[in-house]
Amino acid sequence: MRKLTLFVLLAFFAGACASTKPPTQKITQVETSIKQAEQVGADDYAPLEIREARKKLDQARTQVSQEKYEDAKLTAEKAMVDAELAQIKTLSAKSQRAVQQLRESIKALQEEIQNNLDKERG
Amino acid sequence: MRTITNTLIIGLVLVSFVIAGCGGPPQNNPLLTQAQNAYQQAENDSLIVVKAPVALKEAEEALEQSQQIWEDKGDKKLIEHYAYIAEQKTKIAKETAMLNAAQDEVERAETERQKVLIEARRAEAIAAEQRAKIALEEVQQARNETEKLASRLSEMEARQSERGMVLTLRDVLFDFDSTTLKSGASSVVNELSNFLKEYPERSIQIEGFTDSIGSAEYNRNLSQQRADALKMAIVRTGISSQRIQTIGYGEEFPVATNMNEAGRQQNRRVEIIISNENGVVTQRTQ
Repeated sequence: MRKLTLFVLLAFFAGACASTKPPTQKITQVETSIKQAEQVGADDYAPLEIREARKKLDQARTQVSQEKYEDAKLTAEKAMVDAELAQIKTLSAKSQRAVQQLRESIKALQEEIQNNLDKERG
Repeated sequence: MRTITNTLIIGLVLVSFVIAGCGGPPQNNPLLTQAQNAYQQAENDSLIVVKAPVALKEAEEALEQSQQIWEDKGDKKLIEHYAYIAEQKTKIAKETAMLNAAQDEVERAETERQKVLIEARRAEAIAAEQRAKIALEEVQQARNETEKLASRLSEMEARQSERGMVLTLRDVLFDFDSTTLKSGASSVVNELSNFLKEYPERSIQIEGFTDSIGSAEYNRNLSQQRADALKMAIVRTGISSQRIQTIGYGEEFPVATNMNEAGRQQNRRVEIIISNENGVVTQRTQ
């Protein structure tokens, strides 16, 4: 009975505190996420965010090499949201620009029509 | 047994260590406060609530995790970890909302563009109709003028030929073998003069013809001089000489036989060819 209690306790602490395995999967996910952000043009539209993501990815790798797996996991999680933010910010900025361009093209179109009408009448 | 006791002691120490963290109210964590403020702001933004509910929910979950650990006086590193995640997720929610709003805007703008294009086509159609109407009026006007011209010329007994309007005058202009206009010719001269004044874009060509009595050379000269005499009479009424060409064809191009007087009378004539609107007279080929 005592043995069992101790075992449960130990298992509990082991689970809560220290990862014993490197967060390989998380780091791979971060790499993918950064790549996606780069593909949509994050370096132009969200340079700070993408830089932050890359910095944290490097940091996570370093922590893995130092066998600080728990820290590496947390750093990778942070890098993940940074990359996600970089990507969404880029897409958002591009969409705003598309809206702007569309608005301008409509305005130009309206002006051209007006000019043609004026010419017709004049 | 001994090792188990030792392990138990270590375990107890560990547990007491964790429990010790629980004493007293937790100190404010600036990063958590910052994340809470950011989230609060986002939650009050109806655009984010409507356009990015999932991202906002993820931010809330991370924030709750951070708060829970903070209330349990857990690891500061973890509190700040989830606070960071919460703050970044809040930013993601905001950007997602803006992205979705922009996409809606693109759709709206596209609809508007289509509307403008339809409007443009309608305006274009109206303009085309206007142009067609003007063109029709021009055609109508041209027809009216042509009719008027035709009626003027019919007064002068003009006839339509493949060279255009041709006015043929016989005997009224000259006496036999004379190059001087008869007095009765003045009405013809006035008629032609008025016509040329009324239609300044048109010009005329006067062609003289004779019967075959006399030499061809003589007859050519005679017809040329007669055409020139008529031209001079018209020019004197104020018509530019540029607008009147003369040719003496002599006995060429007879319109009837020269074997009898009736035919010869037909052949003694002056033809006046009215130019087209560009002032060009089609030349005789046969």
